[in-house]
Amino acid sequence: MSNARVRQIALTAILSLTAAAASASTDGSLGATSTGTVTIGASVPNRVQLSGLTDVSFTNQDPTVAAANSQNVCVWSNTSTKGYNVTATGDGSSNAFTLANGSLTVPYSVEWSGSSGQASGTALATGTALTGLTSTATNPTCSSGASSTASLIVKISSANLQTMQAATSYTGTLTLVVAPE
Amino acid sequence: METVAISKVATGRRERPVGLRLARPLRSRALGLCLAAALSASSSPAAAADKVRLTNLSDLAFGTVTNLTIDAVRAENVCIYSTSRTNGYHVVASGTGPGGAFELASGTDKLAFDVAWNNSSGQSSGSLLTPNVPLTGQTSAATQQTCNSGPATTASLIVILRAAALSSAMAGTYNGTLTLVVGPE
Repeated sequence: MSNARVRQIALTAILSLTAAAASASTDGSLGATSTGTVTIGASVPNRVQLSGLTDVSFTNQDPTVAAANSQNVCVWSNTSTKGYNVTATGDGSSNAFTLANGSLTVPYSVEWSGSSGQASGTALATGTALTGLTSTATNPTCSSGASSTASLIVKISSANLQTMQAATSYTGTLTLVVAPE
Repeated sequence: METVAISKVATGRRERPVGLRLARPLRSRALGLCLAAALSASSSPAAAADKVRLTNLSDLAFGTVTNLTIDAVRAENVCIYSTSRTNGYHVVASGTGPGGAFELASGTDKLAFDVAWNNSSGQSSGSLLTPNVPLTGQTSAATQQTCNSGPATTASLIVILRAAALSSAMAGTYNGTLTLVVGPE
């Protein structure tokens, strides 16, 4: 048998196997009942969801005492490890973590903990992902199972508080991006 | 079946010995009773000899579902043929989950889905099926058992991945088998 013939037979066999694998559905035959089957396939990509965030407000803060606000949030990750990373950016110059009132600014710091109920965590640098986090959420919005999975902590040091102008409101926006790992 | 019953009466009359022949009024009454019995039998939902056939099934591939916040729907047109007097049929579906639940699996992760059936082809919605519970009262327009002539398809099989299930599903490739059993009515 020539090599070409062998190659042709081998190719035919491969094509036949491919065709067989491509369709697994079966039709029914004529009878008192008729049974057919359909194979269903779907792929779900990696996804995360961040929820449960609330605004942070420091009011009439004593400048001699550092201000801190901690909130519990929900992070959902559907990867096999339920892993995720988080990246924070402020709306100051070069995405700095700052609050402002016109030209007046004051820096703040951001920390993240991979578990809820924490008053401190790992300090975040703007635009730099904190990796290796794991969620315990069993629901995308923590509506069942764990009600929250992580802690977001915002702090203003006493030194920075003392630079602030009295009776003046400073505002800013902190943006958090979570991604699956 | 009706034709066979009437034919037997006529044949019997021809082959009956002279001594056993019925008087004309009695013969008419007997014929009437046989006709009534035949018609009565034919009005039952489905006779034992009625047959059905389900064909034109193909696999349903959702591919990668990128938007997990909306339902993902796939539908296909299938052929149902029924020899019953009304061309009626029922359909029963079961999945590969526990107790026939409609579930896809990716290892130990599960993804539930819904199944709907529509009595006409080309539809993307229909009556929701419950695993192992017949959907009755369906009628086929098929004139040939594999729809090789007449309508090419007669019904729609619809599979739905609900947003609620998708958005909480673990990442992965899910597969499963849906079994459909049709019976005459």
